[in-house]
Amino acid sequence: MTVPTAHLFVLAALLFALGILGFLVRRNVIIVLASIELMLNAANLTFLAASRQWSHATGRLDLDGPIFALFVILVAACEAAVGLALVIALYRIKKTVALDAASDLKG
Amino acid sequence: MAEILFYLLAAGTLAFGVGVVAARMPLHSVLSLLGAFFCLAGIYLLAGFQFLAATQLLVYAGAIMVLFLFVIMLLNLGDPAELKRHGGIALGGRRLALAGGIAGVLALIGALVVPRPAAPWRPTAVDRGGYDGVREIAEVLFSRYMLPFEAASLLLLATMIAVVALAKRQRPERMAPRERIGWPWEKGVEQ
Repeated sequence: MTVPTAHLFVLAALLFALGILGFLVRRNVIIVLASIELMLNAANLTFLAASRQWSHATGRLDLDGPIFALFVILVAACEAAVGLALVIALYRIKKTVALDAASDLKG
Repeated sequence: MAEILFYLLAAGTLAFGVGVVAARMPLHSVLSLLGAFFCLAGIYLLAGFQFLAATQLLVYAGAIMVLFLFVIMLLNLGDPAELKRHGGIALGGRRLALAGGIAGVLALIGALVVPRPAAPWRPTAVDRGGYDGVREIAEVLFSRYMLPFEAASLLLLATMIAVVALAKRQRPERMAPRERIGWPWEKGVEQ
């Protein structure tokens, strides 16, 4: 594939912006968590695109990018598990998953 | 050929991303997310990251997605009649301005930082074999990245304990201590 790295970066930036938009605008916890996953994927795409560019430019295999992407996937899995457990706890107390319902600590 | 496929997959990723943000029902949002994961795995594969593409499908589409769908089904969030209770869209001007501002800053950084190869992309020896051989990744992961790897296993253990503690059904007598014992300054609550 001879697609320039800039296009991969642009795709990642657009995905991240979409994730930010969903995170800020939506009030349903499940959709907010899905938006966070979208942002983490955009970060992964950036890591891989930069690693690909670096390998291409130097002619040596750069493995830091793929390994960081692996760790990001691991953290995303942990985040999803804890986030969904929090959703279950929230539902048990409030009987809803709307973020507006969880404003007891808002002050 | 691969270039056309990349732009098709990129368009698919963005379309599914819009679906994640704009879907009315959480179920549709999560299924759009699944589509975005598949498109991204295709992009990784095209870009030469075979191992990462496989990991993306196994972990994201296999494990995380099942978790999302399981919670949606468990809490009966797929019911359209119940949808209103679970929160809709808050389109405040400040939120939109913040999201637009962050997107603008990202685009600016991208435009300033992104490398522009003067010559067209000519595949080198590295390009042809892919960028993440499993053997090479394993060698680096178990030598240079040994400490982060062990920390990751610790993180997984902590997550497991946290999830069990959070999602466990609490006993009724421990459910709402505030209703049994009041603080001294509270009136009308049994102390």
